[in-house]
Amino acid sequence: MSDQQPNDPFDDLLRRALAEEADRIEPADALPEIQARARAQRRPATRRPWILTAGAAAIGTAAAIGAFTVLDDNAKTAGDEQLAGSPGTTTSATGSPAVTIPTTAPAPTPAPTQATLPPPSSKATTAPATKGTAEKVQTTAVPVYWLGEKVGTTSAEPTVRLYRTWIKITDGRPAFEAVKMMTSKDSGDPDYYSAWRGAQVSSVTRDNGVITVDFKQLPQTKLDEAAAAVATQQLVYTVQGAMVTPRDRVQITQQGRPGSRLFGHIDTSRPFSRAEASKVQALVWIDNLTDGQVAEPLLTVTGIAAAYEATVNWRATNLKTRESQAKFVNTKEGQKFSPFAIPLKLSPGQWRIEAYLLSAEDGSVTDVDSKTIFVK
Amino acid sequence: MAQPAVVYEEDVKHESSWDADEALTAVYTAHYTSLVRLGALLLRDTGSAEEIVQDAFVAMHGRWHRLRDPHKALAYLRTAVVNRCRSRQRHLVVVDKHTPRSLPDEPSAEQAVLRTVETDRVIEAMRTLPEKQRTVMVLRYYGDLSEAEIADTMGISRGSVKSHAARASKSLRQLLEQNV
Repeated sequence: MSDQQPNDPFDDLLRRALAEEADRIEPADALPEIQARARAQRRPATRRPWILTAGAAAIGTAAAIGAFTVLDDNAKTAGDEQLAGSPGTTTSATGSPAVTIPTTAPAPTPAPTQATLPPPSSKATTAPATKGTAEKVQTTAVPVYWLGEKVGTTSAEPTVRLYRTWIKITDGRPAFEAVKMMTSKDSGDPDYYSAWRGAQVSSVTRDNGVITVDFKQLPQTKLDEAAAAVATQQLVYTVQGAMVTPRDRVQITQQGRPGSRLFGHIDTSRPFSRAEASKVQALVWIDNLTDGQVAEPLLTVTGIAAAYEATVNWRATNLKTRESQAKFVNTKEGQKFSPFAIPLKLSPGQWRIEAYLLSAEDGSVTDVDSKTIFVK
Repeated sequence: MAQPAVVYEEDVKHESSWDADEALTAVYTAHYTSLVRLGALLLRDTGSAEEIVQDAFVAMHGRWHRLRDPHKALAYLRTAVVNRCRSRQRHLVVVDKHTPRSLPDEPSAEQAVLRTVETDRVIEAMRTLPEKQRTVMVLRYYGDLSEAEIADTMGISRGSVKSHAARASKSLRQLLEQNV
């Protein structure tokens, strides 16, 4: 501003201090949530779905997805075909059978700060609270994390990483349903799997900054130590994501008791904190496509990557004609998780979209996420 | 400055052909983080800042047909974020009078360690400023906005911006020159 000298040390001090303070703030990616809300807003009937009562939301959603019954207490996740769908799709994918989520106007909790959960409703039957407070029944879209193999790996690194899909919860308890999905359903993407398959969850409760996930039966899977740590974070990330409480620790119990050994290595006697994203999260994610979805010829693929020199390579291959396009895009910032967007123009047919990172040392592919889609 | 915060000229081209979804993705990619940081500096509460910025993006998407220009969209977002932060802050002041001192986002022990002493002193000093003065200072020194832009964003006159800035600078200089 005009009334200040350009190199006043006072100005420099303020600039430096505010920049330093600001740099400590790393907001979580919110694009899918914003897109889902923007889309919901566009539909006049559900302009503000997050203030609808659970009952009203369930009726609207049931009508939209053609469900026959809406049971009060039976929390039901909306159909496996919606599994792995991201609520965020920059193209108009409403014609797609696989992408029911956008058309049903999901209502993600708008406020990350509304983490304190209200007391359980009196008709709660699905997830009895052993201690602490059970979740509120709601209709929302929640992330579910899965394991995917890393392509290039060194001996020091785990060979698996976390990938994310979105599910729509209709009139259910978000974290409980998300864990149920992880333990009993397919990810909907052939590349993603769950180490928790076969486990039986009894309840998810929250008390004083600790979320307790109680299992009737913990998973029997045996993993190597590094993979076991990532697989444990699969649950931590999923539960925190569903409850929108990234700072809460997660206690795993079996029939009410902590301390069982998990995946042959992990001691569950104390609650787990969220591991740093760079240690466990896949370094490249395609976020707005569902495997098997129908898409428009003009689409923008969005995702998140932590890429060397901010470079994300991509390749789109027509699986029938083998026609192929490939190029690279930059993430907003390098070396840390940051969004990217790939604008595509594809001919009709079945395409495989791959986003991948290359090794700085030898140029080999180190990390990849791929989706197969049908272009109209 | 480590990263120019709310500089709208960079990497957003005039793309009046964008539809609302494309605009949302592009503007989000370029500016979500810096807007949250702006909100967090104003509010000292990252969670509330994220919520406010997300609301602003949803609102921007809804009125894209009137904005039609990333520059206008960014000015709109900035104004929405600042206004919402200010009204949240006023609400907090009222709440604060009736509750024992518990402002949101008291820095945790580890955050405090990560911060330099110098930054700490500046941030603490900023905290003592009245809300309008603090907003002017954050927009000026973090947002790098001109007097005219600050006036537009806050909906006040340029003269008011000047006097808020002058008073804030005087208080801060006094505070920061103590106990050096």
